[in-house]
Amino acid sequence: MNQMPRDLAQIENAHVEEAYARWAPIYDLAFTAVMAPGRRAAVAAAQRLGGKVLDVGVGTGLELPMFDADVELVGVDLSEPMLRRAQDRIARDSLTRVKGLCVMDATRLAFADGTFDATVAPYVLTVVPDPQATMAELARVTRVGGEIVLVNHVGAEAGPIAWIERWMGKRSASLGWRPEFPWAILGDWIASRKDLKLVERRKIAPLGLFTLTRIEKLF
Amino acid sequence: MTEERKSVAAAAGIDPRLLEILVCPLTKTVLRYDAERNELVSLAARLAYPIRDGIPIMLPEEARRLEDDAA
Repeated sequence: MNQMPRDLAQIENAHVEEAYARWAPIYDLAFTAVMAPGRRAAVAAAQRLGGKVLDVGVGTGLELPMFDADVELVGVDLSEPMLRRAQDRIARDSLTRVKGLCVMDATRLAFADGTFDATVAPYVLTVVPDPQATMAELARVTRVGGEIVLVNHVGAEAGPIAWIERWMGKRSASLGWRPEFPWAILGDWIASRKDLKLVERRKIAPLGLFTLTRIEKLF
Repeated sequence: MTEERKSVAAAAGIDPRLLEILVCPLTKTVLRYDAERNELVSLAARLAYPIRDGIPIMLPEEARRLEDDAA
């Protein structure tokens, strides 16, 4: 049985699931304010392109109310406890734009090729065990002419922030995410794909902690 | 999808438009909605993915294997 790589990925996924089961009750309180500008920027970029948007790593659904009412949204996440919070939010705020929530592994999305006008993944790449496999799946389910929209903390490459991030990196299994995330992981991957083009990379105001990335699917 | 299927899906708390775009995460082939068991069946992967309280659980490791019963 040639199961090694899959098993390793599963162990990592188990860490992520466990970490977010612990985070679910306090996640909104802890992360709403600092991450909201990035979510708003990602939503604005994603819904420019048309009707169907996939939100990967939708979590408790913090950005769902930010979308226009005529967008057709589907949200997926690996953590069922986080999705139950999103489900409560959808019912409470009557968010009819959300057509469904599903538990999925971002490296094995259950959608056909080219299903969505845009896929948005806010604060996801730094937490998934395999960022490149995740990107490949986002690209697959995005239609030609559509876009992948990411918001991430892209790590500092030098200086005291880089030093702190490296220290935190050693603790990432218990945090549930990876504070060290060099741009090269994403940049090299985009460069390796002829069918994709980086169309925007900018820091989000006011703090500049997070980076918005837009990638167009050319063919 | 037939009108009957759509109303059955709606009763289970699933938007029929969601069922139309879901495929098997392993084989990327179409799924059959089993209203009785409330599962999404992938004949290609021999797996049935459960729908729990309106949320399809599209993980192969959480799916039921179809080996014993001919679906």
